[in-house]
Amino acid sequence: MLRRIAISCLFAALPLSAAARTRPHYGGTLRVEIAGDAWQKGGLARRLVFDGLTKFATGGAVQPALAIEWQSENNNHRWQFRLRPSVHFQDGSPLTTTDVVTSLRASCAANCPWASVHALAYSVVFTSDSPMPNLPQLLAEDEFLITGRVAAEGNASHGPVGTGAFQVSGFSNGVLALAASDTCWEGRPFVDAVEIRVHREVRDQWLDLSMGRADLVEVPAEEMRIAQQQRLNVVSLPDAELLALEAGESGAWSNQNLRSAIALSIDRAALANVIFQKQGQAAGSLLPQSLSGYAFLFSAERELNRAHELRGGLSAPPLTLAAEGAGAMQLAAQRIALNLREAGFNVQVTGSPNADLKLRALPILGNAPAPALEVLLRAAGQPQTVSADNPAALYKTERDILERETLIPLLHLPRAWASSARVRDLKLRADDSPDLADASLEVAP
Amino acid sequence: MGSMKLFRLLVTGGKTTWWSYLARTGLLLLFALAAHAAANSPWEQPSASLAEQIAGVLGPGQARLTLRNISSIPTSDLPAIRRTIEDNLQARGVTVTSEDSANNIRVTLSENARERLWVAEIMQGSQTQVVMVRVDREPHLDAPSDGGVILRKQAILTTNVPVLSAMEFPGGIVALEPEQIAIFTRGADGSFTEKDLPLRRRHALTRDPRGMLLPSANGTSIEAWLPGTHCEIAYPAAQTTGDAKVQCHESDDPWPMATAPIAATSDAQPPGPQTTQVKAFFNPARNFFTGVVVPSQGVDLPAFYGGALLPRTMRNFALVIGGTDGRVQIAENGALQPLSGTGDWGSDFAALASGCKGGTQIVASSSGGGGNDSLRAYEVTGLDAVPASVPLPMNGTVTAAWESLDGKSVWATVRAPGTPGTQDSYEVDRVTANCN
Repeated sequence: MLRRIAISCLFAALPLSAAARTRPHYGGTLRVEIAGDAWQKGGLARRLVFDGLTKFATGGAVQPALAIEWQSENNNHRWQFRLRPSVHFQDGSPLTTTDVVTSLRASCAANCPWASVHALAYSVVFTSDSPMPNLPQLLAEDEFLITGRVAAEGNASHGPVGTGAFQVSGFSNGVLALAASDTCWEGRPFVDAVEIRVHREVRDQWLDLSMGRADLVEVPAEEMRIAQQQRLNVVSLPDAELLALEAGESGAWSNQNLRSAIALSIDRAALANVIFQKQGQAAGSLLPQSLSGYAFLFSAERELNRAHELRGGLSAPPLTLAAEGAGAMQLAAQRIALNLREAGFNVQVTGSPNADLKLRALPILGNAPAPALEVLLRAAGQPQTVSADNPAALYKTERDILERETLIPLLHLPRAWASSARVRDLKLRADDSPDLADASLEVAP
Repeated sequence: MGSMKLFRLLVTGGKTTWWSYLARTGLLLLFALAAHAAANSPWEQPSASLAEQIAGVLGPGQARLTLRNISSIPTSDLPAIRRTIEDNLQARGVTVTSEDSANNIRVTLSENARERLWVAEIMQGSQTQVVMVRVDREPHLDAPSDGGVILRKQAILTTNVPVLSAMEFPGGIVALEPEQIAIFTRGADGSFTEKDLPLRRRHALTRDPRGMLLPSANGTSIEAWLPGTHCEIAYPAAQTTGDAKVQCHESDDPWPMATAPIAATSDAQPPGPQTTQVKAFFNPARNFFTGVVVPSQGVDLPAFYGGALLPRTMRNFALVIGGTDGRVQIAENGALQPLSGTGDWGSDFAALASGCKGGTQIVASSSGGGGNDSLRAYEVTGLDAVPASVPLPMNGTVTAAWESLDGKSVWATVRAPGTPGTQDSYEVDRVTANCN
């Protein structure tokens, strides 16, 4: 299975496919529509306006961004990242190591993967009591994007300021306007502007795409088949997310047999085939096969009898289950509740953030399995350093995590976008966001 | 530093073609290649390693072995792999039996996006232990190009950063990359050493980086043009160990955008320069030439991505340009006119003095099937461009094309999408023509 590569799925033989390939044109406004918020964690605008010290290349490898090089010392307890010179924020102020340190400290407060971060001449130095083998990959995450002074100090009257390819130029009528930054260290993007219409229902996004009112819209995994039937031009990234169930360890759930019974009760194949319309892969592992190569060792089969056995005479307390997100996530929660009831659990689907079980979509980032696992665990709120440097050690680490049954993998899901025919060279980055800075628009005939 | 770059360099010296693998940091692959070459079978080494781990768990005795393949290894290889694993187990005291046994070994030939993984689940009664070994994918060797077409390509080098231009010099090959110049110097023993010279310049990169390389007028150095920047590269003489150096400065001077040799006639060579050249001003913040060229073509040119000089009559040349509006036009005799037959030309084309037909064709890129571009030679007669060859498939997207110094070949950089889990790769190909 291909992974970490943005695959352009031309579902239909579009006329453009036969056209000559010319260099990308400068100019034009790219119109994007999304269902969520542009500035939320992982939001599209954050990736366009801000940069990290490192970034994921299209293939998933970590690359220099605001840092041009780095080195670790003392068995990965100390890392030094040298800052790229002559980088400026969009307001014209130079990027300094102090800016970077301030931004990083604000990003994770007391929950950082390092113990301290400080500036040292042209470098930023991270130290920790425990090794940080995957710090370059962690720093490519959305969480550690470097925001400018204005945004870092909470005064967003002029919009957030970063060093990215686009700068905020306005927000009105639900449309966030971004303008190309001529001074971007990576070069000016090809399009002049990006307009992001936020909080737009997916069906409205698709309507706007078909009417020529949008250039880029979201395609949820469960809608990819419909997109195919409608001959949309889809760019997708397989194995972009892990759908997983988080289970607590406190109270009655401290009994691991109960948690194991829950894991064995869920019919993952039905989730993949029915709810996600055969676009997901049933998962018994945290990392997908395409990343680890050993995922097949973890069974994703439903074993209802075994679940009953494990539950035995234990009287499980009433369970609450909450799903993060809407649409298919809510349907999936209902389906899981049904499965659990079949195993003898008393389950109620709720919207409460304090539910016993939480259905979440966790990011799978990069092409290196150990850092990807660490990022995933961090996103799940179960941070753990993953220092395995070979597949056997990584398998053991993952097996130990799974045996705790506090994070129950269900499906590996793709992420996808659909674009209009005038969008060229659109790729998805390894963090699943469309790379709009390197995309361009066809010249109108 | 996180970015890995692996260069593979293929150089033709006389009639001998030979390979030299230069790894900047890809020592693992080199090691794998060495091991691969040393073994009788590519599966010997991983089989031995896996058998050793299995025997370490199981100890001497009998075991039943099952083998399954969920990787891209061809099914036809499975009997040989099974045999090799069995032999290696036998050598370590584990006899594989076809009868029921308390010991079962289930070997799965698996893979992820980057490498193969052979996994053995060793079941002893109710206990299962897992061991695994990494198996590097075999290096991909380019298939030779089809000899039946007029255009032929030959891979010169591959890298995972864009190559904006490359050229041969007496001591080796120079490649211009966005951030550095890579110089491959041929040693006395024929091997190559690589030296990377970082480019220190003030102008930010553009997202569609462009650049050119040409020898200096006196032939002792190489000049490089990048947006807003001009560099001079001093290189060591052939088969010496001297240091190469680069000096860059900001410059808005025009680039020598198109150069063409002036062909000798059947009579004595007329006096005058041996090449003709058009320089063009480049927009350093974009990816195109402004349209202002030296010498003037007697007509205002639109902004264009690139161009080529096409000989018409003795010492007269027409300038063919690919405009940013997608139109290909020809500037000649103070007029600018559309060149027909260029509807499927891409932005990158160059003149090729093949000696075939009219002597010089234009080799243009165009989109091929399956996402790959192709190169095709066109004969330009009057205002018509007529295909003069069948399309030559390239292994990806043509990102740059330029003439060689002698005009007898076109060099092209081709970007190939990364294999799963890897970055895009770039290959510089030399394209030559045979006359039918």
